[in-house]
Amino acid sequence: MKARLIEKDDVLKIVDLLREKYDVIAPFSITGRDTYFETVTDSNRNDIRLHLPNPFYPPKRYVFPHIERLMRVKTNNDNIDILVESNVKPLAIFGIRSCDLAGIGHLDRFYLGNAYRDCYYEARRKNLFLVNMVCTEVGVDITEDCFCLCADTGPAAKELFDLQLMDLGDVYLAVAGTQSGEEFLSNPMFKRATEKDIELRRQILSEVRKSFKDTTSWFSATVRYISRGSVLEDTWEEIGRRCLECGGCTYVCPACTCFTVSDRKIGDGEVERVRIWDSCALGGFTRMAGGFNPRKAVHDRRNRRFYRKLAHYFIQRELSMACVGCGRCATVCHGDVGMPSVVEMIRRATAILDEK
Amino acid sequence: MNEVENPYLPKITVLDRVVDEIKDVRTFYWHFEDPNEQLKFKNFLPGQFAQISVFGIGEFPASLPPSPTEEETFFTVRAVGSCTDAFHKMKVGEKFAVRGPYGNGFKMDSYAGKNLIFVAGGIGLIPLRSCIIYALANRQNYERIQIFYGARTPAELMYINDLRKWEQSAGIECYLTVDRATDGWKGNVGVVGSLFKKPNVQMAIKNSIAFVCGPPVMFRFVIKDLLEMGFNEEDIVSTLERYMKCGIGKCGHCCIGSAYVCVDGPVFTYKQIKKLGEDI
Repeated sequence: MKARLIEKDDVLKIVDLLREKYDVIAPFSITGRDTYFETVTDSNRNDIRLHLPNPFYPPKRYVFPHIERLMRVKTNNDNIDILVESNVKPLAIFGIRSCDLAGIGHLDRFYLGNAYRDCYYEARRKNLFLVNMVCTEVGVDITEDCFCLCADTGPAAKELFDLQLMDLGDVYLAVAGTQSGEEFLSNPMFKRATEKDIELRRQILSEVRKSFKDTTSWFSATVRYISRGSVLEDTWEEIGRRCLECGGCTYVCPACTCFTVSDRKIGDGEVERVRIWDSCALGGFTRMAGGFNPRKAVHDRRNRRFYRKLAHYFIQRELSMACVGCGRCATVCHGDVGMPSVVEMIRRATAILDEK
Repeated sequence: MNEVENPYLPKITVLDRVVDEIKDVRTFYWHFEDPNEQLKFKNFLPGQFAQISVFGIGEFPASLPPSPTEEETFFTVRAVGSCTDAFHKMKVGEKFAVRGPYGNGFKMDSYAGKNLIFVAGGIGLIPLRSCIIYALANRQNYERIQIFYGARTPAELMYINDLRKWEQSAGIECYLTVDRATDGWKGNVGVVGSLFKKPNVQMAIKNSIAFVCGPPVMFRFVIKDLLEMGFNEEDIVSTLERYMKCGIGKCGHCCIGSAYVCVDGPVFTYKQIKKLGEDI
């Protein structure tokens, strides 16, 4: 592990350096909980915030856009021309959190693994430079819904970043995770770190880990119950009753992968085919032409969502749960059936059954 | 972006001719504009499917009713939604696009030496047609071949020319039934399961694979009959239909239980279907 130090006043110079090669995305804050990722420009560069609650709208959209054109199709007379354009520019995300990084790791294994490779995802992913920010400020970086500790994704990512930054109090510690990250650290603004700095990192992390709620640490039990199908129908129905079918949980999820595809007219004799994030919470998600819907009931759809995210079969296939512990679904859910609540509801209800 | 690697990119096809099957169902014969694409596509397996693009409207999955042993490529499609309606309105000579083939298909070669029992209802014959033609083209590989097919009325019997041929052919037992006898129908009246118990019918049960495709109600009753007769759950195979957007295991719509129907299916044994835990 190559570790360097960078002065607090210099940390945004990383962004400047990145901007020479990349479009840079960074987190910003409006007021309070309102935070967002945005492209860095000359005018907003000084407003970049490193300590802030993680934005609800996840940075996933920079590798898997909310709406993405797959192709343009021109029709004239008898001729059909299908045009696929690639205009993917090198992109750097500065300040991506460990949970969101794990989300990208999950998307990598899903879109690039299995039988087919998703070329649109691959093109974006290949051009991505990731600067991970370790969450250290309790109450700011780490909110009460955070549970990366239980999902084993944070607060400090162990992989997938090119560069990782961590606030050591007076300075930032920078660690490289890839060859391009290493090259980046050769810039003279980075100073050599000592064994003392590494020890300080260890101490801070061990303190930070104590600040998480421990009520959500029941993943393993829930994974087991869901995988072997022992969750009671009653429990799913209760979860279904609380679901308002808004789809919010899926739109804020860094690990959700579903999309729909739609054709739309963009000009005379010209259409585009786009893919758009879709949500399994919505009633039409599985409705077929002709009206037959195998998953009509809300609790059926909730059942599928959590099965897809937590069942052992998929964990084995993707080498991770499709949950990174970011806590966004818990915050946005009006019915309190985000991941942590569901994990606990299932664990409690099923464990009682087990004891009988 | 390298076109060869883009799994979402359909290839241009031309509509050659259209044949009316039954009400709202037509068979569309077509070919790829690029002969190389045609050659590549012709490696499909019975039970696989393809994605049809009607640009500006959308894309939909459709079974492949031809057998890879046949010359022509075609789809049989029921007009049931916006895409299929638009497809039905296409005229001979017009262009559309296809990508595929997708899915696992029936393991026809692993059924060698077995009896093949086809049980279909309504348009459930579309995916099974491929297997039947394939089995007949490789007749020496299989023992008995039995077809049990039911439709609501005689006018709704699919692939009527094939059916008549199969009824006449040696080496194949083809039994037809309708729910309601109209148009001077002389054959059996009743659900498809009623054929199993007819005195002139001897169902091959031992060493048999049963292919079952049809509407959900028919599926449930036929499965019940077959299990009672002594079929093993793993010797009953079917293909599932689901809402699909990509066909390549990414869009998520067809995910049921531990399976993405588009890549892990659409062919499943009844034993697997039971585990998936969703309605057929």
